[in-house]
Amino acid sequence: MQVHKGETLDEVVRLLDQYKDRGKLIAGGTDLIIAMRNKKINIDALIDISTIAELQGVRDAGEYISIGAATTFTQLMESPLLEENLDGLKKASRQVGSPQIRNKGTIGGNIANGSPAADSVPPLLCLDSQLILMSTRGERSISLKDYYEKDMKIEEDEIIREIQFKKPKFNQVLTFSKLGLRKALAISRLSIAILLELDGDKVKTIRVASGSLGRYPLREYRVEEFLIGKEIREEVIDEAVLVLKEAMDERLKGRPTLPYKRRAVEWAFKDAIEEGVKRLKGVEAW
Amino acid sequence: MVKIDLLVNGKKHSLEVEEDMRLIDLLREKLGLTGVKEGCSEGECGACTVIMDGEVVNSCLVMAFQAHESNIITIEGLDEEGSLHPLQQAFIDAGAVQCGYCTPGMILSAKALLDKNPNPTEEEIREGISGNLCRCTGYNKIVEAINRAKGV
Repeated sequence: MQVHKGETLDEVVRLLDQYKDRGKLIAGGTDLIIAMRNKKINIDALIDISTIAELQGVRDAGEYISIGAATTFTQLMESPLLEENLDGLKKASRQVGSPQIRNKGTIGGNIANGSPAADSVPPLLCLDSQLILMSTRGERSISLKDYYEKDMKIEEDEIIREIQFKKPKFNQVLTFSKLGLRKALAISRLSIAILLELDGDKVKTIRVASGSLGRYPLREYRVEEFLIGKEIREEVIDEAVLVLKEAMDERLKGRPTLPYKRRAVEWAFKDAIEEGVKRLKGVEAW
Repeated sequence: MVKIDLLVNGKKHSLEVEEDMRLIDLLREKLGLTGVKEGCSEGECGACTVIMDGEVVNSCLVMAFQAHESNIITIEGLDEEGSLHPLQQAFIDAGAVQCGYCTPGMILSAKALLDKNPNPTEEEIREGISGNLCRCTGYNKIVEAINRAKGV
């Protein structure tokens, strides 16, 4: 095996073009090194992107926020650009693994790895994020949602360069709730992210995304359709939970974890929505 | 083999390492720094914790070649002119060491925490060491030790 410590993005893209699917990118390495040691991966070259400055950091791009793919979860947690209405993304980052994992693990790795339990992905789905991909052939963007729906395939010579999303409006909030089996180092049993905007007591905008409730993190459109325009009351939320459970029943039919997840999702969904209402109104939801 | 330069405990090293070597293997086997412990080998236990460029990392989850031009601190780098680091002394004084296997990683996590936040709350201390498992102490003595060491 050859190893390359990439110094610039151009160099990495050329190496990817040279090795194609025989080369693999390594950033935080927190999943990849374990897979390599378990002999689940057989490659000719490992290309390190963990210290490439162009791939790091959260950037204010006017209407958009841009996050370099090799930005670590610690950097996300510490970014002043992810305050207030973007707090849900920060909260999700804070709940990844442990300090050691957050110092190394990256947002791009969380996406490229394709885990259904990737903590950072549900908030990014609520933000309608785009992935900016790069190769020697140029750059293109795809929506994060399409990336997951198309089996997480990007071309073998492409790198995820950055994740971009439009800043939410000042009267929209992003929240996140995760159920893990213990406080630290827990793989998500399930997670829910919600982007919410109210008009008085009525739901004006809502986007709901879940982690670990399917083969990959996904948007819960049926719940969104159910809630849009409705008055936000406890009974309405109870009905929304039923809609979410129905969607889960179809997706997770026959899975031994379904009965557990059906009950647990209720807590996560209500927690995320109550936090949103509380932050928008400044008082407890109900 | 690939050539790398790095700083370990303040000392410069230029070494040839195997492509598939991890940082933990480099530190233990090439440099003899056996205070770096291997526990789970998958980033759960934190026994192999070292400080890399000011931040704690699991050295079992870093490839040696990735550490090129980095600055690494292991437990062996903590003593100050032959005397124990205040955190090491506090661990002894508080009885925070039992079998000792988690101790190097635990102390390095505590050091990285105190370097960033010299006066952490108990919750911040527990968060700071949440990536280090200890199966002996029940953590209370460890938290007490870090509390004693803060501000020293």
